[in-house]
Amino acid sequence: MKLRMPEMPSATLLAALDGYNLLPAIVFLPTRRRCDQAASEAALARRDPNDSRREARRDFMRGFVEQNPEVRGHRHWDTIIRGGVASHHAGHIPAWKLVIEKLMSAGLLDAIFATATVAAGVDFPARTVVLTGADARTANGWRPLSASELQQMTGRAGRRGRDNVGFVVAAPGPHQDPLLIAQLLKAPPDALVSQFRATYTTLLNLLDAYGSFASVREIAERSFAYRDFAHQLVQLERSRAESENKINEALKETGCEIPMSVVLGLERLVGIRARLQEAKPQTRAEVFHRWLNEVVKPGRIVGVGRASRRLVIVTEKRDGSIRGFREDGTTASFPQERIGRVYSPVYRLREEDIEKAFEEIRKRGKELALVEPRLRDAYAEETDALRIIDDSIDNLLPPEIKQRRRCTEIIWQLHTTAEDYERATRRIEALREEVWVPFERRAKVLSIFGYLEYEAEKVTDRGRWLADLHVDRPLLIGEALESGLFNSLEPKQLAGIIAALTADEDRDYGELELDDDVVTSLARFEDIGFKVSAEEWKHGLDPAPELNFSAAGAAVRWAGGADWSQVVSETRAEEGDLFRMFSRTGEALLQIAGLRRSHPQAAQMAATVAEMVLREPIR
Amino acid sequence: MRRNSRKHWDKRKSRGGRSDKSDRKTNHHVANERLTRVVPHSHEVKRLLEGIGTPPSRPFKPDPFQVEALAALEYEDVLVTAPTGSGKTWIAREEIRRLLENGRRAWYTSPLKALTNSKYQEFIDEFGPQRVGILTGDRKENSDAPLIVGTTEIYRNQLFDSLRGGSEVTADLVVLDEAHYLADEDRGHVWEEAIILTPPRIRLLLLSATVGNAHEFALWLEEVRGVRCGVITGPVKRPVPLRAAVLLPDKRLLPLLNDAGKLNPQILNLAADERL
Repeated sequence: MKLRMPEMPSATLLAALDGYNLLPAIVFLPTRRRCDQAASEAALARRDPNDSRREARRDFMRGFVEQNPEVRGHRHWDTIIRGGVASHHAGHIPAWKLVIEKLMSAGLLDAIFATATVAAGVDFPARTVVLTGADARTANGWRPLSASELQQMTGRAGRRGRDNVGFVVAAPGPHQDPLLIAQLLKAPPDALVSQFRATYTTLLNLLDAYGSFASVREIAERSFAYRDFAHQLVQLERSRAESENKINEALKETGCEIPMSVVLGLERLVGIRARLQEAKPQTRAEVFHRWLNEVVKPGRIVGVGRASRRLVIVTEKRDGSIRGFREDGTTASFPQERIGRVYSPVYRLREEDIEKAFEEIRKRGKELALVEPRLRDAYAEETDALRIIDDSIDNLLPPEIKQRRRCTEIIWQLHTTAEDYERATRRIEALREEVWVPFERRAKVLSIFGYLEYEAEKVTDRGRWLADLHVDRPLLIGEALESGLFNSLEPKQLAGIIAALTADEDRDYGELELDDDVVTSLARFEDIGFKVSAEEWKHGLDPAPELNFSAAGAAVRWAGGADWSQVVSETRAEEGDLFRMFSRTGEALLQIAGLRRSHPQAAQMAATVAEMVLREPIR
Repeated sequence: MRRNSRKHWDKRKSRGGRSDKSDRKTNHHVANERLTRVVPHSHEVKRLLEGIGTPPSRPFKPDPFQVEALAALEYEDVLVTAPTGSGKTWIAREEIRRLLENGRRAWYTSPLKALTNSKYQEFIDEFGPQRVGILTGDRKENSDAPLIVGTTEIYRNQLFDSLRGGSEVTADLVVLDEAHYLADEDRGHVWEEAIILTPPRIRLLLLSATVGNAHEFALWLEEVRGVRCGVITGPVKRPVPLRAAVLLPDKRLLPLLNDAGKLNPQILNLAADERL
């Protein structure tokens, strides 16, 4: 039930609340920009009539500045002093947020305009919490608030010891929905849901500590997530035992002395038979289509078009669509069905190789073309397989069994129960693997790069220092360290690289120009990243986020000794974003600086760079 | 129909714009009026706003749930779930005080650097700078102090180190503040690892927002650690009661709910008008 009402001007809103004695208030707004606007608009329109409070604010902030010089001359300074209102969101630096929190708890502010991030973590209550909408903004539009989000917000309403009652007010806004708010207020709190997952750091540390995959697995299976699985496992095992009982009793009753394995064997054979039957190609087109799926791959040359005369070298294949280069070097993209011929050699996708490749196909195309299968051949294969299965089904009963006909009947009758049994078994196996498989995949990737020995279940010397490197993407940093990349850098370039890695992928930190040297080292770093993610991708791990080049530009500038205000104005990024990014960069550098024994040179440099990054106001 | 409602909305928008200007002109006036003129309230608004204001100051007296939690900590792990601002930190502080007085040690973890820094200051004020240290990704001070404040990640890393032959975590009590961060998509796994790897000899105190499955969570803690874990649920009622209202564009205030706790029918009517 949306009430589509335009948002009130912030001064009007505050005047209305004041009329009901509902101040001080925290007004939640969807974006940082709206918070800043609302605060300055309100400050312009209102003048706190109470001069003593204004003086008190001024004194308070002057006192604060002595400890925190970075808030001196902040662009919202007057808004606070004059209007007694402030905006509070992640775009501000921590010291500025702190002064606002302190002013609020000292009772010197009438309103704070805040994004929902305030609701989590910091604790500064007000008499009233104002919601201008029932939706939250996400990267892809709007979604309704959740019960716990609303509870976080209303948790700020009513100051203990200072208010008899707290209020939540649904104010006009384009996304307002009083019914939803009423429902969410009554909703029970969300359950805690485990987010347990495998990381390189956890795997290396636990394997090094316990010395076997089995022990690491045992730890992973103590997770809260696995507790849920464990309950499901108990139920599945129970229902599997029931099926087993049913089968055994039925066999006993009829006097057929066949083991249970025969019944299960039949289920499997019947299952395979059904799948084969389904999979049997029915037409020539289908046979051809499947063959193309198999043989068309990057590096191969294919003939396209009616006479398959136009040649294209395939560079990419995705969901049945093909991309590649024509002989004249132009790119081509077309559906796989248009391919009429495929040539057997697989060429490297380099410019000089591609030219030779086309030449070879032009010359020896006839002998190099792959032969497409005929329907009859494909059919024959499947038919043979079906015959073998049918024979196996007939021979399932051990030869010594008497009453063969009756027993055969029985095992066919038990087929559905056997199916239940097998389904439960498969599900049990899958569940048992669920928590462990992601660790196993990471173990394989780490072993490819030499950080652990997979067969011996041992962390190598390399792995031991990697285990100590507590950063977001340890493997990438580890590989960069091993490649010696960091040793060839200037200090501020190292800051740039680490910033590119630790920054949020999509955040914009301005378009500062990068030196050629920095670009070259970022490119080398990216190459290493590509090698790492290629292996990760092969092993079914999620792709890592991309490097943020704009963060690198800002960090090089900052580590190079630029002023805070200079970096802020040149990047035009929000102070809070820059602060967080530099602070995380500094932390990652300190981690590298800890590798004094394994990588003394890089560690030494990282320590120096960390100091250059972690200077005022980044602490 | 759709077009109609669109028109309606546009009209409202322009009306809102006008009221903006007039407000700005008179705003000065409005603000000054606050003390002299009381907006005439309808009966139901009077009821909505009844009791608004500041309570007389009272000496602090701990809530029963706080006392109960302290008592339980004597012999078991404790999970406290309570809404924000109802006094969970008091429990941690008093237990830490008791330990420090007996020459014992504690680790206090929090999810955010800002929270860690402010807790550090708070504990310094409370226990003196010699007795408190801080460990975050970029700050390390007085790390041998009997009370360490730090991020959960750093605490987890110390557990890893001690498992791999480094120095033991010497705390007698570990407080996990904001323990519901366990459900955080990115970092939640760190909380689970910290819980699983904390030696059973160390007492755990988990402070969490209200969650739907506190007992299940506590059962898991018991299974994993082999130590009993009590669940202390904070006051079901909020420390300061909450009332809900809707503010309309004409500055009228309406209660959001009626006495039965259902949506106020007047608001339903308004929504129906909107659709016309």
